[in-house]
Amino acid sequence: MAMWQVVFKKEFKEIFSDSRTRFNVIVSPLLITPLILALVGSMAQRQAKESGAETIKVGVVGMQRAPQLMEELKGANKIELEPVASVEAAEAKVRDRSHKAAILLPEDADERLGNGDSISIPVVQDAGNEASEQAAKRVKNLLTERGDLLAAKRLQDAGLSKQLIKPFLVGDKNLKGSGGSGMQLLATFLPYILALSAIMGGLMAATDSVAGEKERGTLETLLVAPLSRRDIALGKFCTVTATALVSSLLSVVGLFWPFYIKLPFFNWMTQDGLSLGPAAFAAILLVQLPLAVLGSGVLLAISTMARNQKEMQTMVGPIILVGSVGAMLSMLVRADAALYWSLVPITNSGLVLKQALQGMLNPTFVALACGTSVVYAGIAVAFAASLFKRENVLARF
Amino acid sequence: MIHIENLSKTFTDKKRGEVFAVKGVSLEAKPGEIFGVLGPNGAGKTTLLRMLATILTPTSGTASIGGYDIVRDPEKVRAQLGYLTGSAGLYERLTGREVLRYFGALYGMAPEKVEARIRELTRELDMSEFLDGRCDKLSTGQKQRVSIARSVLHDPPVVFFDEPTSGLDLMAARTVVRYIRRCKEQGKCVVFSTHIMSEVEALCDRIAIIYDGKVAAIGTLAELRERAGAEFFETVFLRLIGVEEN
Repeated sequence: MAMWQVVFKKEFKEIFSDSRTRFNVIVSPLLITPLILALVGSMAQRQAKESGAETIKVGVVGMQRAPQLMEELKGANKIELEPVASVEAAEAKVRDRSHKAAILLPEDADERLGNGDSISIPVVQDAGNEASEQAAKRVKNLLTERGDLLAAKRLQDAGLSKQLIKPFLVGDKNLKGSGGSGMQLLATFLPYILALSAIMGGLMAATDSVAGEKERGTLETLLVAPLSRRDIALGKFCTVTATALVSSLLSVVGLFWPFYIKLPFFNWMTQDGLSLGPAAFAAILLVQLPLAVLGSGVLLAISTMARNQKEMQTMVGPIILVGSVGAMLSMLVRADAALYWSLVPITNSGLVLKQALQGMLNPTFVALACGTSVVYAGIAVAFAASLFKRENVLARF
Repeated sequence: MIHIENLSKTFTDKKRGEVFAVKGVSLEAKPGEIFGVLGPNGAGKTTLLRMLATILTPTSGTASIGGYDIVRDPEKVRAQLGYLTGSAGLYERLTGREVLRYFGALYGMAPEKVEARIRELTRELDMSEFLDGRCDKLSTGQKQRVSIARSVLHDPPVVFFDEPTSGLDLMAARTVVRYIRRCKEQGKCVVFSTHIMSEVEALCDRIAIIYDGKVAAIGTLAELRERAGAEFFETVFLRLIGVEEN
């Protein structure tokens, strides 16, 4: 067995004998991450359901200007209407949240409705308040519904069919097996989670491997053993990369198993199924490797520069921030992004994952993203390896 | 066995500029002798040993161990070197046996040879009760015994002990001292670095007194006493480094 393999074998065994590593690298991506996703999704769904069923108070300026309309709207869709004296007062009540929204009726509302005209009804809402926005949406839906009924009645009175003004009856029909909301959720979160776990999955292993060894006094004994610095660096680098890969691959498994083992808790996410071809799976797996290598190279370099684990934690803070921003960008940028995005580290891998999940893999983008990731990874590894040759960095016991 | 000629090491410090840690040290140590390196903290003892162990590269001068140059053949130098420091330097999540097997593999020993040597050292250092326990659960004395076994597992002809008893209780320190004597009996060349005068008096055949990075004096205990014109070893030491007048 080559010396670097001896180092790798021992380090890999040692890092996984730590319960913190087992939790972070195995338990968390397999169980905690999907559970958190399911919990967040269930809560969001419940909140949406509850906010639709909640009774809301809405102010009306000029309630007396359209008595018939007001009578029709009274108590409909759990919307309580309350008269307000002026536009300013209505705005104040929305602002202080005693009313969720307000309707402004024009002075000649009744007269114009009677004449078969249309009236403009502005709905006051607080754009900085989500509850107000949702309430305004409910009010607008109600008014549109009533408007449609009124239009139908007018047409009927004129002896015309209501279909006359609705030549298109537009509806939704989702593709079978397209994955629906579950796939959409995966396409949003998976690139972020995978990019971050590939980069950060090796954090504990990297911290332990050089900074931790300096702190515990074991690096000095290792440096006195008759193996080259290159073997030490390679063994440690392989350990960090392997740990990062285990972490990111288990993150993939963690986000996909709910689609195959049906549990009621994940129903909302998995009910529409999953549609991933072999090419998409291959791309998801392929893109992890350079990402894990890049992260491991950077983390190992920081660990080599640090005197102890505390210093490593301080130094790694900005790296985590940059990694998070890179991964987050892949959530915000569209999957069919311009080619220059393939040069942005971390984000490019996230976008390949997004393309794979949305079934729109662009071979040029994938090739460029993988190529540049390999180059970045190579630079990071070369830098980390060069630090092992510098005694003022390595021998800071 | 060990031949050092005019060895120096400088570090660059942001505040202090260029700092001489070791200045022109020359000495020789032979097989079957315990060679003491005595000096106060910060005198340059550890830097000297780290250069000999090829952890640090000398700024100037040369040194060889068993005929191998420390700069040109670092891996060959390390292959015939055992190195023990005050800190146990053990992997806490591994058992003592796993640590020994790991270092056996690093020293290129065949697995059956490693096992035979572990059995031998277990008897010699009385480790049978705790060798299969995780290192983080061992007492300081037990850790130090595993650490000694780790440093001599490959039966090196040269062993460096760098402040090996610092922080140890009396019993653990006694184990180390006994093992240093045993190494001498086995014909090994032992370099023993310390700032504790009594240990030097009790153990060393020859002593180099290091002060401010330089060798202030070299000789047997009797030679040093004669040169300083004093019997009490602390006085000998202070006179030879020039702190106390004759």
